[in-house]
Formats: sequence, structure tokens, C-alpha cells
Amino acid sequence: MKDEVYYELYGEYISPRELGISTLISAVFAMLFFFTAPSLAQITGVQPGGLSITLGAIGASVGFAISTLIAKVKRVVVEV
Amino acid sequence: MDPATLILMLALSALSTILYIFIGILPGTDETATMAPIALTLLLIGLDPLVVLAWFMASIAAFKMADSIPVALAGIPGGVMAVPQVPDALVAKDYGLADTVLRKGIAASVVGQVVALAVTLSLSYYLMPAGDWLRTTDVVFGVKVARWFWLVLAGLIVLALTSRSKFVALVSIPSLALLIQGLRSVYGRPIFISLFLGITIGPMLFELLTMLHRDLRQSLARRGLKEVKLVRIGEISLNPLKILSREELAHSTLWSAVTSILATVMSPVGLTILIGDLLRESRKDKIRGAVLAYTVRDAIKNATYVGGTLIPLLVIGVPTGPMAAGPAAPFFQKLESLGATPRDVIVSNYSYPTIVAVLLLATAISFLIAYPILVKYSRRITLAVFRRIPAEALYGLFIAIVLMLSYYDAKVSGIFGTLVVSIVSGALWKLGVSLGVLFMTLVAAPTLVQLLSALPL
Repeated sequence: MKDEVYYELYGEYISPRELGISTLISAVFAMLFFFTAPSLAQITGVQPGGLSITLGAIGASVGFAISTLIAKVKRVVVEV
Repeated sequence: MDPATLILMLALSALSTILYIFIGILPGTDETATMAPIALTLLLIGLDPLVVLAWFMASIAAFKMADSIPVALAGIPGGVMAVPQVPDALVAKDYGLADTVLRKGIAASVVGQVVALAVTLSLSYYLMPAGDWLRTTDVVFGVKVARWFWLVLAGLIVLALTSRSKFVALVSIPSLALLIQGLRSVYGRPIFISLFLGITIGPMLFELLTMLHRDLRQSLARRGLKEVKLVRIGEISLNPLKILSREELAHSTLWSAVTSILATVMSPVGLTILIGDLLRESRKDKIRGAVLAYTVRDAIKNATYVGGTLIPLLVIGVPTGPMAAGPAAPFFQKLESLGATPRDVIVSNYSYPTIVAVLLLATAISFLIAYPILVKYSRRITLAVFRRIPAEALYGLFIAIVLMLSYYDAKVSGIFGTLVVSIVSGALWKLGVSLGVLFMTLVAAPTLVQLLSALPL
């Protein structure tokens, strides 16, 4: 990992490959959850618009949780 | 307000506080990109707009208190608003005063938000009748123009003239307005969400796209891991009155009151830089100047966010400054699910005392949670966040939320609309145009383009 080239963005070192994977995971989960809303709305009888956004945000958060396990932290904390 | 809504408001204020402590400590988290999409999501879900405003007020309290923690401990800003504090913190760190600025910053945040709430809520009450006058329309070149438009236009020009690149900023106003209205005419309706999100993620997306360009990315390339030096701190008293000196308390109070009003039309980050630099340069002693500037900047951060949101929201009804047109923009846009703007729903459904009580309650809850946590555990939380949260996961999360909201707004063409606006916004930002100019152009675009088309030239 130490030999890989990273790119600095807002003071953070970024791996384009890991960023691509993290974005893909969060986006896929967000849209998958988003599109399940209409059928769930039919069953529960709630507004599909609001439910779509709620489920999409939950999906994106699930993607975030998975991404924290896949992407590596590029900070080395030195306590001085 | 019924008991269920009240309980929901209290719970969401607490949840917002916890969430924004972490977001605040994380480096590179832009305020608009992290606050606006979540507030917008909550409004689109169908939550009561006043409950979402309570969430938003709690997020300001926690975010603006937490984003200076990594500045004091490691010289790394937790958000854009904390960037001006970096030079002050580095001076303090060199003299072994990291824990001093850390605790003074936390206490000053409380002062800033409380003073701003007292000033803006009192002022708004007396200024509310002026809102009707500002919303009245006049006919100019055959175009109906609301009077608030001139306030927005004046603010836009001032912001453009204070941008790093004045000429580009000035010429970008009509150009971006034409792009926005052009896209709206293609969509056939006055869409807002995807255009707003495009500006919000513009700087981040432009930097990410730069990483894909072989030549441009060379200047950003780094090898190895990023070393972050975290200083040790001693025990800090929980009593905020023991933390600030009389001079720091007086300056924090005075400048919080002044900047909370100025933020109605001026940039919060601009005010934080301006007042902090003036105070630093006014002291001959370098260390005293740095500590005073750091402390007062922390108060101004909270004050400008509160004032920049509440005066336009309660008095004017339209976003007249970069704060209202940026992080707080979701409250000013008509949402199909509500049939009105969240702002209109709040002021027409609730009495002024109820709105005041909710805002004070949300702030109190946020500080009751954030203050002891940050005073006691700020170093431990910073260590955990720095060691466990990869930046890629966080960027991935926000890009995914933006994609979903853009699709919700205008299907697949909404995603590409967001992309084109974000590339243009990112390029203009890179060229030295402040983001406030871009957000306020989005507000002014419909009238501005109508006036441009009607000009007899």
C-alpha cells in the first residue's frame, strides 16, 4: 500500500481506485433501496416519494459502512 | 406543536448533534456538501419543516464547534469555515497552547450561537413587516421584479468584487444564470435540486476529475501515507465561564452580534477571515493576537451561520446571502410534496414564539450533548476518526446521495444536469470565483435572465 500513488484532495490522500469502488458501492445500494420504495409503499400505504428518499439514504449509509471496511485509511497519526 | 412532533424534534436534534460532531472532525468536509443534502433529504421524506429547521440549528451548533478540533490538535481544518483558524492554531501549537485554543474555541462557539440567536430573533421580530415590502413587485423593462431581487443583486456584486478573481466572478454571473435557465427550459419546469447539488459538489467533483487527467494530476500526486501530528492536551474544566477571558468574551459577544446581521448578505467565511485578521493584527504580542483571533473566529463561525439562515428565513423569505443560498437553501425552495417552500410552511403554520422556542431548544440540546463530549473526549474522538474513517468512503457516500437526489429531481437527465453544472461551478471556483456567487446566481437566475432578454440593447 505504501508504494501506491495517492492524490491529495482537501488535505486528504485519496486512492482513485478505492474512491471508485466506494462510490460504486454506495451508489448501487442507494439506487437499489430507492427503487424498492414503490412496491414497499404499496404494501405499507405510505407516500412513495418520501419513502424512496428515506430508503435511498439508508442504502447509501449501508454502502458507506461497507466502504469503510474496503478502503484503507491513509493517515498515520503520530502523537507528539 | 403536538407531543409526538416535539419528541421527534428533540430526538432529531440529538441525532444531528452526534452526526455532525463526527462530520465536523473529519477533514475535508465542506459545509454545504454535508449539510444541505441531508436537510433536503429530511424535507423530501415529509418531515415537518420546523423539525428539520431544529435539526439544522443543532447541526450548526455541533458542526461549527467540532470543525476546529482537528485545527487545534493537528493543524488540519475540519471544514471550510475552520481554514482561517489554521495559522492562529499553528502559532498557539508552537508555544504549547494547543489545549488553550481548543477549549477557548469550544466555549466561544457557545457564545457565538447564543448571541446570534438572541440578536437575530429579536431583530427579525421587528423587521418582519419589511418582508412584505421586499416581496412587492415592480415592473422594470416590462418584467415583474420583486424588490428583494435588488438586494440579492447588490449582494452578488459585492461577493463578486471580494472574490479572488473579480473579473471572472462578475462575468460568470450572467453566464451561469443563462446556463441554469437554459437547463430549466430543456427540462420544461423550474427544477432546483439537481442544479443546486451541482454547485454544491462542483469544487469536489472538479478536483476528483482532475485526478483522471494525466498531466493535471501530477501536482496532486503523493507517495506514502499522510502523517498527522496530534498534540497531547491536559485536563480541561467543564465550566465555560472559566475558559474565556473578559476581553475574549467581550470581543466574541460584540462580533457575533455584528456578523450575525451582516451574514444576511455577506459571506460567513469572508467575515471570519476579516474580523479575525483585524483582531490578530491589532495585538503587538503575536501569541495573544493568535489566541484572540482563533477564539473570536470560532464565535463568528456559529454566529454567521445562525444569522445568515434566520434573518432571510424569518424576515425576507428568499435567500439573500451565501449562507441562505448555500447550506440553508433547501428551506427556501418550493417542494412539490409541500406545495410551498419549507420556509413558508414554517412561518404560516407556527407562531413566532413557537419557532423561537424550537430554535432555542434545538441549540440547548446540541450544546448539552456536544459541549461535554468535546471538552472531555475531543482528542479520543479525533484519534478514532483519523484512524478508522477512510476519506474515500465519505466522499462515496455524499456522491451517492447527490446521484439519488438528482435522479429523484429529473431522472437520468437530472444526473447529467448536475454533472454539467458541477463541472462549470468547479472550474469557476478553481478560477477564483467564490461559491457564494454561484449559489446566489442560482437564486437570481430567473429574474436576471428575463431582464437580460428585455434589455433594449
